[in-house]
Order: sequence, then structure tokens, then C-alpha cells
Amino acid sequence: MPALYSDILLDHFRHPRNYGSLDAPDISNEQLNPLCGDRIRLELKFEESRVSAARFKGDGCAISTAAASMLTELVLGEDIEELANISDARLISALESNIQPARLQCALLPLHALREGLKGWTGLQD
Amino acid sequence: MEELFEDIERLAHAEKRVAMATLVATRGTSPKREGAKMWVGEEGRILGSVTIGGCVDARVIAESEQALSSFESRLVEMKLGNEDAWEIGFSCAGDLDVFIEPVDLTRSDNVFELYRAIRKTVDQGKRAVLATSLKDSSRKLLIIEGGEIAGSLGTSVLDREAQAIGLELMKKGVSSTVSLGPDSAPVFFETHGPPPTLIVFGASHVAMPLVSLAHDLGLKTIVVDGRPRFATRERFPDVDELLIGIPSEIAETLAYTSSTFVVLTAHDYKYDLPVLKVVLPARPAYVGLLGSKRRGAAIKEFLGDGGMDQSLLDQLHVPTGLDIGAGTAAEIALSILAETVALKYAK
Repeated sequence: MPALYSDILLDHFRHPRNYGSLDAPDISNEQLNPLCGDRIRLELKFEESRVSAARFKGDGCAISTAAASMLTELVLGEDIEELANISDARLISALESNIQPARLQCALLPLHALREGLKGWTGLQD
Repeated sequence: MEELFEDIERLAHAEKRVAMATLVATRGTSPKREGAKMWVGEEGRILGSVTIGGCVDARVIAESEQALSSFESRLVEMKLGNEDAWEIGFSCAGDLDVFIEPVDLTRSDNVFELYRAIRKTVDQGKRAVLATSLKDSSRKLLIIEGGEIAGSLGTSVLDREAQAIGLELMKKGVSSTVSLGPDSAPVFFETHGPPPTLIVFGASHVAMPLVSLAHDLGLKTIVVDGRPRFATRERFPDVDELLIGIPSEIAETLAYTSSTFVVLTAHDYKYDLPVLKVVLPARPAYVGLLGSKRRGAAIKEFLGDGGMDQSLLDQLHVPTGLDIGAGTAAEIALSILAETVALKYAK
């Protein structure tokens, strides 16, 4: 049984990677947990069909912040076509923690931002 | 909006001549501070007060009526409380000076125009100081935040001296009488500024009475939350601004001055930590955090580990509010505002 909050989760919470915003991102999507208030915005920039930069910004709990931080690392360099295939299980597994069912929405909030952002994306501009 | 500006517009529509009585100096205990005003209209209207009523205001009214008859300014020195009150110890035991200026509202260059210019400045979020010679009230100098001036106290030397003092008083947000020049001429500096602002992060149940009470105290209020279901007009009918988004990102867009009070009522580290990272370095007048001492210590430790300077952490009031045994949301709100009022008056 993994720890409630793993060292890697706590490290990403205390020292989030790729925190901030991008100039003219190709994808920008903000998602909210309406009752507990986590808000995460994910931004991606593409170059030659791959993710060249990823940033996130938001105020969230340890799980959602760490998940967003990890997701920015997971997507970096990925082919655009592959982004939609990043599964819930892959991100949750990366957290190495015992995420309770009630907190799954926190862990998956940044992934929802990615999926919603991809829906609105119309392709690389010349 | 300052009561003064509202009174001016009410009088401008109803009176032809009014006496403007201003509390220009206090010694000992006084219920009101320098700058308090009372208006006595020729038609009998009375607005405002230089004390909290009683015989002093009655005497100011009588003096104002005489000033209107002679149409000459006068400086009146008074003791708080009448002789009976002094004798049996019921007086506030202070002295005060009230300057009374008659104003002819039929003239286009009356002092109301200066106050309208001050109002415009204040509406733009800036401070202004009106300096009035107590020897000759026609001599006035308006000093705007940033250093711009209008009018004159009589000489350029006096104006320069007054400008420096005015800018200093502006920073402190206080009004005061100061002697200027080689003749030590008394000049009253009347400070005006934007209303104090309360920024509340977290549209919680404590935030609701906090905003309503703050509104009654004359504060501009802003509520910030990430949740549109909580940050609603229905829950905050008195709020001036409701801002929904990433709270720490919104926090970066707000202005923090010496009259800004910030209270974090979410009682949730997900908002408290990122917002404090923005707000504490901006050094507003007050930053309060809802929570116990233990929670406060943990929050401070986390921020300190992240590199925040101890001097900034020391600015955080946690638990927020005076210890009055508050239990309900309204009582907690009262205790928070009591602490901000005490801070405002350096108590």
C-alpha cells in the first residue's frame, strides 16, 4: 500500500515544476473543483507536433498541485496525438500515493484541463 | 465615499450660504479627530458634527450663525463638556479648536469647488491635502499625491514648506494644524484619500458578515474566491467587487496601500499559502488569517521554509481578530474589524 502522500507528491507540492504561464500558448484550459475550490490552468505550446513547453498555474490542494506539476513533466516532448492517450491511471500511478476515491477529482483535475484543452485545439498554425 | 462629499452636494442644492466648522486641533481626549466637520446652513440645516453631540456642538452652531452674520472666519477654542460636567467629572477632559468659515454658495469660486477637485482626485485612487491658513481662510493650497499643487498660502516659501508637510501627512493619512514660516502662522492640513479597502480571500460564511459590517464602517470591500457558487451577490449583497478566478493570480492584480486590509477566511491552505506569498510582500496595512495559533504557526513555517523573510511572516495576524471570545461568524467578523479599527488608530 503506497503512503498516503508520497515523498514525490509532497516534493511536487512544495516545489511545483513548470509553474507559471506561457506567452501565446497553443492550448490553455482552466478547470475547477466547484465545491472545494481547486483551480488549475494548464498551458501548452507545440513545435513540430510535439509539446515544446508546458506550464500550469493555480491554487490547489497538495494532490491537485502535485498532479498538475507531474503532468507538465509527463507531456513535455510528447507527440500531440499521444496526449489524449494519457490515462487517469498513468497520472495517478505517478503520484505514488494512496489516492482515496473522494480525492480522485483532485488528482485528475489537470488531466481534465488537458483533455478539454485538446478539444478546443484546431491544429498547428503556419 | 466620504460623508463630506455627500454633505457638500446636499447643501449645494439646498442652501445659499453655509458655515463650515472644522475640528482643527485637539488636546487631551476628544471623541473625533482633526478634520471632522459640521455644516450650519443659513436656512437652518445642520449636517455632521465636530464632537459626538452635546453642548460643544451647540456652541459651534451658535458661533457658526454669528460667522454667517458677519461673514468672517473665526477660530473658536472650547473645552469638551460644560461647566457642570467638569465640576462632577463627566467631561471627556479635552480641549479643541474649531475653525469656522462662512461659504457663499452663489459664488462660483467657493470652497466647494476645491472639495469637488479633491473628490475627483480621491475617485482616481489618489490622496490630497487641503492646507488652509487659519489667519486668512481665503489662502488655501491644494496638494495632490505626487506633488502637484493648486492655489497658494500667500508666498512661494510658505507653499513649498506646506507642500513638504502636506505630503508627509498624506503618507500618515492624518489631518493636523502646523505652524509655518517665520511668523509661525497656523495652517490646517486636511487629508483626504480613497476609502480604506477590505480584501477578503475566501467567500466563506465568516466572510459574509465581515463584508456587511465592513460596508457599514465605510470600507470598500472586495471578495475573491475560485468558486462561483460561493462568491455570489446573494451571499454578498453589500460587496463592491466579487472576483472569481485563481485567487493568488487575482491577488497579483490588486493594489495594496497603507489603507488596505486583507483577511483570509477560506481556512484552506490551498488558498492561504499562495495568496500569502503574494500579499505579505506587498505590505498592506493588515493581513489576517482565520485559524488557530497552531495552524498559523504551521502556515508560517511552510512559508518560511519556502524562503519568505521572517519580517514578512511577522506581519501576519493569526488568529485574525481581537480576542473577544467570538464564536459565531458575525462575532468573528466583529473581532476582525475591531482589530483593523484598532490598527487604523494605532491602539
